[in-house]
Amino acid sequence: MHDVLIAAYARSPFTFAKKGALARTRPDDLAAAVVRGLLARLNIDPATIEDLILGCAMPEAEQGLNLGRLVGLLADLPITVAGVTVNRFCGSSMQAVHMAAGQIALGAGEAFLCVGVESMSRVPLMGYNPLPNPALHAKYPAAYISMGETAENLARKFKISRAEQDAFAVQSHARAAAAQRAGHLSAEIVPITTKSAMVEHDGCIRPDTTAPALAALKPAFTSDGSVTAGTSSPLTDGAAALLVCSSDFAARNKLTPLARVRAVSVAGCAPEIMGIGPVAATKKALARAGLDISAIDIVELNEAFASQAIACMRELGITEKKVNLDGGAIALGHPLGATGARIVGKAAALLQREGKRYALATQCIGGGQGIATILERV
Amino acid sequence: MSEIRKLAVVGAGVMGAGIAAQIANAGYPVRLLDIVPPGATERNAIAAGAIARMAKTEPAPLMSAHAAKLITPGNTEDDLESLADCDWIIEAVIEDLPIKQALYRRLAAVRKSTAAISSNTSTIPLAALVKDMPADFARHFMITHFFNPPRYMRLLELVGGSATDPALLETIAAFADRALGKSIVRCKDSPGFIANRLGVYWMQMGVLAALDLGLSVEEADAVMGRPVGIPKTGIFGLIDLVGLDLMPHINASLAATLPQSDPFHAANRDVPLIGRMIREGLTGRKGKGGFYRLNRAQGARVKEAIDLATGTYRPEISVTLPAVATRDLGALMSLPGKLGAYARRVLTHTLAYAAMLVPEAAEDITAIDEAMRLGYNWKQGPFELIDRLGLAATRAAIEQEGLSLPPLLAGAKGPFYRSQHGIQQYLGRDGVYHAIQRPAGVLLLADIKRHGKPLAKNSAAALWDIGDGVVCLEFTSKMNALDQGTVAMIEQSVARVREEFKALVIYNEGANFSVGANLGLALFAANMAAWSEIEKTLAAGQRAMLALKYAPFPVVAAPAGMALGGGCEILLHSDAIQAHAETYAGLVECGVGLVPGWGGTKEMLARWQGAAKAPQGPMPALAQVFEMISTARVAKSAAEAREMRILREGDGITMNRDRLLADAKARALALAVHYTPPAELVFTLPGTSGKLALMLAAEGFYRQGLATQHDLRVAEALAGILSGGETDLLDTCEEANLLTLEREAFMRLIRTTPTLARIEHTLETGKPLRN
Repeated sequence: MHDVLIAAYARSPFTFAKKGALARTRPDDLAAAVVRGLLARLNIDPATIEDLILGCAMPEAEQGLNLGRLVGLLADLPITVAGVTVNRFCGSSMQAVHMAAGQIALGAGEAFLCVGVESMSRVPLMGYNPLPNPALHAKYPAAYISMGETAENLARKFKISRAEQDAFAVQSHARAAAAQRAGHLSAEIVPITTKSAMVEHDGCIRPDTTAPALAALKPAFTSDGSVTAGTSSPLTDGAAALLVCSSDFAARNKLTPLARVRAVSVAGCAPEIMGIGPVAATKKALARAGLDISAIDIVELNEAFASQAIACMRELGITEKKVNLDGGAIALGHPLGATGARIVGKAAALLQREGKRYALATQCIGGGQGIATILERV
Repeated sequence: MSEIRKLAVVGAGVMGAGIAAQIANAGYPVRLLDIVPPGATERNAIAAGAIARMAKTEPAPLMSAHAAKLITPGNTEDDLESLADCDWIIEAVIEDLPIKQALYRRLAAVRKSTAAISSNTSTIPLAALVKDMPADFARHFMITHFFNPPRYMRLLELVGGSATDPALLETIAAFADRALGKSIVRCKDSPGFIANRLGVYWMQMGVLAALDLGLSVEEADAVMGRPVGIPKTGIFGLIDLVGLDLMPHINASLAATLPQSDPFHAANRDVPLIGRMIREGLTGRKGKGGFYRLNRAQGARVKEAIDLATGTYRPEISVTLPAVATRDLGALMSLPGKLGAYARRVLTHTLAYAAMLVPEAAEDITAIDEAMRLGYNWKQGPFELIDRLGLAATRAAIEQEGLSLPPLLAGAKGPFYRSQHGIQQYLGRDGVYHAIQRPAGVLLLADIKRHGKPLAKNSAAALWDIGDGVVCLEFTSKMNALDQGTVAMIEQSVARVREEFKALVIYNEGANFSVGANLGLALFAANMAAWSEIEKTLAAGQRAMLALKYAPFPVVAAPAGMALGGGCEILLHSDAIQAHAETYAGLVECGVGLVPGWGGTKEMLARWQGAAKAPQGPMPALAQVFEMISTARVAKSAAEAREMRILREGDGITMNRDRLLADAKARALALAVHYTPPAELVFTLPGTSGKLALMLAAEGFYRQGLATQHDLRVAEALAGILSGGETDLLDTCEEANLLTLEREAFMRLIRTTPTLARIEHTLETGKPLRN
């Protein structure tokens, strides 16, 4: 089998939907800008790229049609580079990495652009025209359960207190703010030029958030619940991109890759507790890598909700010290389709920065799924 | 006549900002300037702060979010030169002559030669304001005295000086009338002009008489409120509303400017209690309490009033007057004891003072009556009150009270107003009756009704010929609630207009266009389990709406005030709407546990599905309409009704209430040229999948505690209509299908106990029940 490498990572700033600096930027333009930014950092012949695999969770309207192909054209890639769009909701662009890895392993290409994007400003969460199937709803109502409700279910099931969730969110903001101050975030950010400004910084981080401030918020989803807007990831606009390639390709092009893909997995779980999805996926991936969880040094666990992230950490037996060192989605934001590429790229970059060996990137997925990727530093 | 296009207001206090808001409400860009606060980094902070505050003020000074954007904040140090292109600059700064004159000198230097400058002063005479100012400035200067709040108070007192250019005065009057919606009362340059001069005297007399005669505030207000036709707050309630702290300032300014012979001086006695209350912060509703307060101590909500003798609060005492005294002014003044004495003292002094103001403050009596009606919300002005009491009885009462009879009253040879051949006339100072002239473009149904008989009439509505082939359908029931009589008259109007006329206007001069269906009748029928009757009535209403919509002549609805439920559905089925700016429209049926039953849902859906710029596909329009109707949203202005698409693009908004009927009639006549009825509506709807999508959203609100179980049931009924029942995306749904769905949903809901409980509660309290 060919070695699959994460060769490079870049992303746009992540900003609040509707009120943020990227709200008026089309998602296809945003993704194309990040692809250009990524390629500008590399000295490779774009014609050697096999495919652009793009993840997007609500692929309609401005992010409709075959967005993967359109982003390639927008980014002026050679027309010989193909393009495909993939949807696994929040796991979409991590799925793009898995597909690239599979193709490389198969010998069906050497270099892939794995991109993710979501404009939650310009395409609403359920899409413009949600038309759920009444028969499925009658048979299995949880198929259409709201994400907030699943977070409440996990908080109840795992007895995760409001205070614990609030503390987790405070830490996420604190770590993101510290990373921002240290320049760790701008290192990965491709500045985006909009009609009104050059957007260079993340817009969702609240460095001054405190536990008392969060404690004052009302429950966001159920009147007697414990999950608030402060312990949920915000609606966000953003895009991320990775170059995933074979070791031969990396060597030929004198790239300095970040990490090797050791194992990948996806797993289903009950939709009403979709947030626990990373547990089953991670266990599968660890088994495939022949590793124990204790061998993992760095974890990027997507924070859809604090309750969900805490539940996964408890179940997997991982401590906060290893998780989301530069902050997670509660602070940074969660542009659904873009998050998978971001956390894979982040985990790979952290292996380099921290000089560690193994990293895990994993996330939960609406509808009841988990997805996981295990990386090893090269 | 030059045109007013660009305006500015200098002074961003409550009045200045409110005036700027009304200018913006009219759709005109306006600059709002104030001083640079000492040590400020944000130099426009005062004006910008005033605009921001107005967005949160209730009742809202602004009619829409768009209006706020038309106001540009600035400051008098950096931005005065930018007023060079303004056609009208309104000064609303502090009541300080040197400060005003200093500003005028600077404005004189920058204003363009044709620009009008006006002051919103309420106390400083025009002669003093223009003293020593350049002649050209004085020629372009006048006083425009707005009342607070400028959006809602219709009165504008207009004062020209001896030097003021009469043509410019006309230009400003016309703009204030048509664009700003104000009724203009011309005043002489005399202290306090008209409304405050008489109003302050009246309030002061009311306070003193209550103290002297030993009445409680409740007794005084019970006498002077409803029975006289003055706002039900009465005098003490009104002072609470205005602010006690304002009284000494206004009194002092009138005392300083009125001649010593004026009766005001006798009434301007210091009231120690008021001084003490102001010092203690008891300045009225804006303060910690006033003559009345709501005591929230210990979690209770106790209505209290101040004891005028002891100055302490005690629980409010309700006062009931004999029924006859609430209708008959003579009987009110003949009440035994202190109540009658109070009515006599306050009314005789007030009416005698009013009679003194002609010609000192106003050219004729109509100006005084108009000023009190519009500036103080009196139902009748003082001369109308004199006619109501009777001239002889008024004279006798004034003399018995020991007052001398003013010449106007002594010399009057008959009532102050009379109707001659259907023309309303007033008694002039020359002793001759003159017709009351309506400004051009003002058409009042009240005037038409004085002329003659209706074309048709029943218990709930009437038809009037308003000339040029146009018929007016007037609702006449209590609060203009709609019932079978209304439906019958709608059908009759369609038959009648088709045969003999060109167009129909639906309009009335009640406080509200219509508050919707008569819920009392619906509840009665439901309690009798007269289900088939209810359904028949519903079907008749639906037929009447279709008859209006597809009539072979244009129908223009001209609402003012509330147009709720069925009232809103009438707007939705008209060819065009000409709305007064103060129109509050919405489909509120879900609030009482029902769904719109007269086709309101389908009409709103058609408006949203046809909307340009909206996201396409089967769901976006449904979701919008679902949200509006399920939350019983009511537009807080005609501008908001346009945002809600109750008003369509071609529909008009009239700022001046008095011009509404004429505007609606003109619109109807324009539509009547080569009129063809609209095509029938055909919908493509998503069926049960769409309904499920709407309900998933509604259930989220339920989990958040924002909707009740019964709200969900009502929402489900609504979602069923909006999604077209069992229809499929590939099929079309006709209007009749949706009307059937509406009827079925309505009938399902009205049989439920929580819906009936809601109706009963709303009838009893006027408020929604959340069950």
